[in-house]
Amino acid sequence: MSHWIELNIGPVHPATHGIYRFRVKLNEETVEDVDITIGYLHRNAEKICELNYFVNNTIYFDRMDYIDAMNMEVGYLRAVETLIDMEVPERAQWIRMIMAELSRIAARMVGIGALGLDVGMLTPFFHTFHEREKIQKIFVEASGGRQEVNYMSIGGVYQDFNDKIIEEIKEFIAGFKGKLEEMVKMFTDSEIFWQRNVGTGVLEPDIALDYGVTGPMLRASGIPYDVRKDSPYLFYDKVNFDVPIARTKDNMGRFLVKVEELRQSVRIIEQCLAKLPEGPYFNPKAKKSAMLLLKGQGDVFTRVESESGEFGVFIRGDGGVKPYRVHARSPSFKNLAVVPIMTKGSLIADLIITIASVDAVAGEVDR
Amino acid sequence: MYKIISEETDKSGMKVLNIDKSDLIELMEDYKDRKYFLSSITGVDMKDHIDVIYHLHNFDKNDYICVKVSTTDEKVPSITKLWKAAIVDEREQYDLMGITFEGHDNLRRILLPDDWVGHPLRKDYDLNKVQYVSVDRDGNEHVSFDDKEGW
Amino acid sequence: MKTGDMGVKTTTLEKALEWGRSNSLWPLTMGLACCAIEMMATQAADVDVARFGSEIFRNSPRQSDLMIVAGTTTKRMAPRLKRIYEEMPYPKYVIAMGVCVIQGGPYVDGYSVVLGVDKVVPVDVYVPGCPPSPQALTYGLITLQKKIRNETDR
Repeated sequence: MSHWIELNIGPVHPATHGIYRFRVKLNEETVEDVDITIGYLHRNAEKICELNYFVNNTIYFDRMDYIDAMNMEVGYLRAVETLIDMEVPERAQWIRMIMAELSRIAARMVGIGALGLDVGMLTPFFHTFHEREKIQKIFVEASGGRQEVNYMSIGGVYQDFNDKIIEEIKEFIAGFKGKLEEMVKMFTDSEIFWQRNVGTGVLEPDIALDYGVTGPMLRASGIPYDVRKDSPYLFYDKVNFDVPIARTKDNMGRFLVKVEELRQSVRIIEQCLAKLPEGPYFNPKAKKSAMLLLKGQGDVFTRVESESGEFGVFIRGDGGVKPYRVHARSPSFKNLAVVPIMTKGSLIADLIITIASVDAVAGEVDR
Repeated sequence: MYKIISEETDKSGMKVLNIDKSDLIELMEDYKDRKYFLSSITGVDMKDHIDVIYHLHNFDKNDYICVKVSTTDEKVPSITKLWKAAIVDEREQYDLMGITFEGHDNLRRILLPDDWVGHPLRKDYDLNKVQYVSVDRDGNEHVSFDDKEGW
Repeated sequence: MKTGDMGVKTTTLEKALEWGRSNSLWPLTMGLACCAIEMMATQAADVDVARFGSEIFRNSPRQSDLMIVAGTTTKRMAPRLKRIYEEMPYPKYVIAMGVCVIQGGPYVDGYSVVLGVDKVVPVDVYVPGCPPSPQALTYGLITLQKKIRNETDR
């Protein structure tokens, strides 16, 4: 005889990683159906972007995927610079790449640390946040902001790299390599971590494609799609890196893909530092006085690889100094929608791990 | 057979197909057979009509295309039968832009409460009219213009 | 406080309670948006908030006496926030973290953000910043402790 329970998780709950509400229909301990309610952090960024000048909107994109601010800025500026035909100097593009990869590492540190907390491991959280703190010190040195940095601007970056920042990045990379292996060992040495992750939250590749899932989730389902590799932006075609995939399609596969991407990010930063040329860091056409007069006409849709997947930005300009319509194709929005399929028929405990493994960021889901 | 009104290339080098609303399903079915997947749906309010822009992506050829339709009666056929990704996208565009997708099974608001008045991304949405949300004991949300009703 | 003979201190019971209360604040994790990550950083190893007796972040409102509202409060979230505040036992305190919570911040022009959480729940300490650094939040916590002990900032 079955015993039905309807369980409410959220909106404020430690396991939801952001504010969503999951209404779970349970048959004893087995999940039958999950109804996800989102919108508790809907901050109308798309509407406010229409009221602002092109140059002012980077701050709203910072706060979409708030743990991965640099990649959001790269995504927005790629669209704007295509729209208004702005050239970016070579040095600025390399600097953007270094910052984007550092930001990706910082975002993963939050994701992996929170995954550990959900499994019941408190220790890795302190280690990952210690590494994140080091990256944030570099960000403060470069931009003045710790998390919501607003470092990049149309035509370049806000401030050039000085020797101290480069030295700090080199020092961080040298220490991070060993530290990463140490942290991963904390997870993979744990029997509980394996038992909770292996075979749970299985996502078949055809379902993933049907639902528009991208990023580490798609790669963990066996499809090697990465915007950095497949349609390179910045100078991602001039550096060597691999796109990891997992064949297991489960939570453990996703974790291992994320870890391998951290190693690849370190590789990219090392190559960028070696190739960093001298030169201007800002296009003089976009100097401060001219910034508000930049005009754009037409439609563009560009995409970048953020920490959670393919982040696309659509902008329509009507020839004025403000965008007519801004739309963000946020990866977490799509990734979260597939959770009911992934957890159908699994135990309620596996639902918690799957939500942590999807790593959706509320600011980006609701915008 | 569907008819393409015009074909162009936009600034980012993407192929743009302008088609009529009645041909949408047929064209999308054709592209689904060619292994294209839905990436995003965007609605743009042009005051006298609404543009609905679909971005499709082929993972094998790494080809992105853009399909544009325009509607004057705020209605567009739903493509949820073809791609499940359209379920959340169409709900979002219904919520914020007020486009009705005909044939969508579960077309209700996704980001805002169900009772919310107006569609915020429309150009004629009045930002000065403040709406307040309250929740009763059962967890149902109510929206009102009276600031005493809120929270 | 007076120091009597033999090193015995005499004080009122009220003062002793205030001192005890201020040094063992148990915060509720009301992480709503970006500031939640900085709140987590405050809890982590580098800026160890345990030095001030507040390391136990509780997830249940019944077990906590300090609510750190970290992140933008939307109109949809405000009734829920108020309800969680009402579920907390007395005495209870609120820290508003970040400019979104104080007055709307960058989203002040929009339609779905509550312009100041003090319209929903009473706030004791405001910590400005977008997001405030962990050091700023720690300073806000110390300010609250002083407020509980009725001390003035000299």
